[in-house]
Amino acid sequence: MTSSAFARYRPLVQSPAFITMIIAAVVAAGIAVGGQVIARQVASGVLLGSIYMTVAVAFTLTIGVLNFLNFTIPTLFMLTGMVAWGLMSNGFVKFAGGWSWLAALAAGVAVAVIASLIVERFTFRYLKIKHGDATEHAIPLVSSLGFLLIFEHLVLIFLGSESQRFAVPFKADAHIGSLVIGGAQLASCGLAVVVVAALSYVLKNTRTGRALRTIAENPDTATLLGVEVNKVVPVVFILTGLLAGVAGALFTVNYGSVSPFMGENVGAKAIAATVLGGVGSIWGAIAGGLIIGLIETLSIYFLGGDSVQMVVWGLVLVIIIVRPRGLFGTIATGKGKM
Amino acid sequence: MADNTALSISAVTKRFGGVIATDNVSFDVPAGSRMALIGPNGAGKTSLFNLISGVYSVDSGVILLEGKPIQNMPPRRRVSAGLARSFQNIRLMPHLSVVENVMLGQHVRVKGARAALAPLAWQRGNKWRRLAESSLRCAGIDVDPDADVSTLSYGIRKRIEVVRALMSQPRLLMLDEPAAGLNTRETAELSSFLKTVARDGVTLLVVEHDMSFVHDLCERTVVLNFGQLIYQGPTAGVHDDEEVRAAYLGRRRVNTEGASPVA
Amino acid sequence: MSGYVSGIVAILCINLIFAYGLFVPAAAGQINLGGAGFQAIGAYSAAWLSSVALLPTWATIPAAMLVAGLVGFLISFPVLRTRGVYMVLATFAFGEVVAGFLLRTQFFGGAIGMVVPAHVELPVLVACAVTVTLLSFYLMATRFGLAMRSINDDEAAAVLMGVNVRAVQVAAFTIGGAVAGLSGALYAHNFSFVEAQYFNSFLSIYVLLFVLIGGVQTAWGPLVGTLFFTLLPELMRVGGSWRYVVFGAAIVIMMTIRPQGMVTRAVIDALSPRRWTSKRFATGAVHGG
Repeated sequence: MTSSAFARYRPLVQSPAFITMIIAAVVAAGIAVGGQVIARQVASGVLLGSIYMTVAVAFTLTIGVLNFLNFTIPTLFMLTGMVAWGLMSNGFVKFAGGWSWLAALAAGVAVAVIASLIVERFTFRYLKIKHGDATEHAIPLVSSLGFLLIFEHLVLIFLGSESQRFAVPFKADAHIGSLVIGGAQLASCGLAVVVVAALSYVLKNTRTGRALRTIAENPDTATLLGVEVNKVVPVVFILTGLLAGVAGALFTVNYGSVSPFMGENVGAKAIAATVLGGVGSIWGAIAGGLIIGLIETLSIYFLGGDSVQMVVWGLVLVIIIVRPRGLFGTIATGKGKM
Repeated sequence: MADNTALSISAVTKRFGGVIATDNVSFDVPAGSRMALIGPNGAGKTSLFNLISGVYSVDSGVILLEGKPIQNMPPRRRVSAGLARSFQNIRLMPHLSVVENVMLGQHVRVKGARAALAPLAWQRGNKWRRLAESSLRCAGIDVDPDADVSTLSYGIRKRIEVVRALMSQPRLLMLDEPAAGLNTRETAELSSFLKTVARDGVTLLVVEHDMSFVHDLCERTVVLNFGQLIYQGPTAGVHDDEEVRAAYLGRRRVNTEGASPVA
Repeated sequence: MSGYVSGIVAILCINLIFAYGLFVPAAAGQINLGGAGFQAIGAYSAAWLSSVALLPTWATIPAAMLVAGLVGFLISFPVLRTRGVYMVLATFAFGEVVAGFLLRTQFFGGAIGMVVPAHVELPVLVACAVTVTLLSFYLMATRFGLAMRSINDDEAAAVLMGVNVRAVQVAAFTIGGAVAGLSGALYAHNFSFVEAQYFNSFLSIYVLLFVLIGGVQTAWGPLVGTLFFTLLPELMRVGGSWRYVVFGAAIVIMMTIRPQGMVTRAVIDALSPRRWTSKRFATGAVHGG
């Protein structure tokens, strides 16, 4: 009865060409229908969507494999940007000041991965007690909420609560017809696609990937089959840190600013994308992320800024009501005790 | 389907993917009888219990409880209709006390909002609690009714599960390996207790590996193997049946002195 | 009573009622991470009925509960098709939808919020909090409470015991919605002002933490959890953000060493004086008879 989203949608997920085609098709459709103004909205929607997509894949991966809604993902996203800013600016720790933007972002991603591994210790490794209730799945969830508070407020203490400029010398623009797309935007979409494609390659073709998919299907069976769950779980957290960190770096480069609260909106939208696409399905997270990104920019353009939350979450609510498993989710709408 | 049939299974088939759990199984359990359901591991005994109690739905076939078809009823309606069961692995609620677990069994017999909203836990002398406590005593379970079930021994928890099943006033009681894990004295006590239950008019259908227990308790036996019914008749005749011998062959010779045919 | 203390008591009462609104479904195994949505529905219903329809508080507060309970009833059907983490996600989305709707709707003041003319004093809040607490204990003592607890323990076995799991869960979700709505209505009338930004996902998260860390096995859980986490920051005189770091660390440590929450059935048993005497009596009686 258990079904793995990975097993079912693997042929689509593994193909980066397919994802690129979809993005290109949406952009092309936008240009064809609405002309240049719409095309620009669509392009920025795709950019935003590629960031949501990367974070949503992190969410869907931890839920799919570990049945764990990891609330630290938005803070890992934020941590990358804020740490990178701290290393770049001279105001923060004197000896560390003045890093190049690329090195600072790489260090930011590394910090996100390390932080994610700390979370792993306290949500899975040290957590051996089970109480057997239906609410048991909330134990790591609650721990991750604790870490959300810890990370966010440590950043507030050491890096301040201000929004900061993050200047990147990145000026190569691409011209497609009369449409000008920022080089950073293109690079971001490209990088997001590469990261997700690499992830699906790992899931499909490596030993660890197969172990992850087995755990996703059924943790007990995985143990019986000799999968060493304790060795594989950290991999999920490394991937989570990496995905959230890369998304944070892309966001920082593209929007040129960081703040301790930058993860909140992105995290919430990524959760919306996860639900919309179908929880546990990587392909769903990709599609959901792009759809949410497009809806967000288009509804800002057509309906105004304060309509975004209602349009996005209204769509999610409709999905929950008419189709709880989302656009691409499998029949299972959650693992309960059976 | 006369009045004297408690449970009638006809042509019940259930597949899980390519695996056939029960293959066209038919048999009747006469009212007031004590019947055993045996077979090698994986023969489909627990699957059949799950089909009867409504955990799974049948692919085809009819299940009649006292003449009424129940195969399409939700599980709780089957409990109301007079069917109760225990589980192979103890399924007592871990965070309910002994008496609360037993009172949970009364659930389908409690009617009306007033009964549902009476503060049971505050009325220590209320009739439901008294009923639960006296049933525990009748079954020879001598424990503090407010004890945490997780602190009790396996044998006691196993018997509490039987008492809980009886609380729904079943016409048919299905027990999944009630004697497993019990010592000799406890097994004998359980056997005599179940006989008194049967004397009060409850039909028993028991999955059990302990053949001495089966011989002691059940006058009739049904044998399943690979989802198919291979024997039904008096318990005494089980060991003389060629097909049953063949089913158990290679494991251990069936022996009438009570060693279990399947370890 | 100083303004400072009465402010803390007011928010304590409101959070406590809110916590019981999340506790009732949680005791039946359903985690609601959209609590702020129900609270907002209660708050805005009361605010609108008070400021536009000019109804008195004895009418607005029950009406707000009714509206929030009705929404809880309706939303429980799709939400209960999901389970576990998926249900957490679904309820989280619900909370966001409500906040987004209220922020956008000019009818309810949009981003500016609404002024609530009728004021409710602190004693009313305390009385409501005490009543809700007592009713929650009562509910857990009933057969309905027994059914809720059995669903939390083992849903599949509860079904086979004859428990109407769906009906119990819908009822628990509806009651929870109405109680969270009550906390919202009291908030509106006590603070005399509502704005959508207050009812954000962080509020849902905090109050759910009170409940889960307090424990969902007994009605003591939300009481202990809310008291502990509302009073702890006030007692802790460490500065601003460090307070939250300590709070977060406390949550992580708590979940590592005691994931079932502060108060469990075993704790209540061990602390109950009646139980000591009744246990001796019961065992004595059985041996004697």
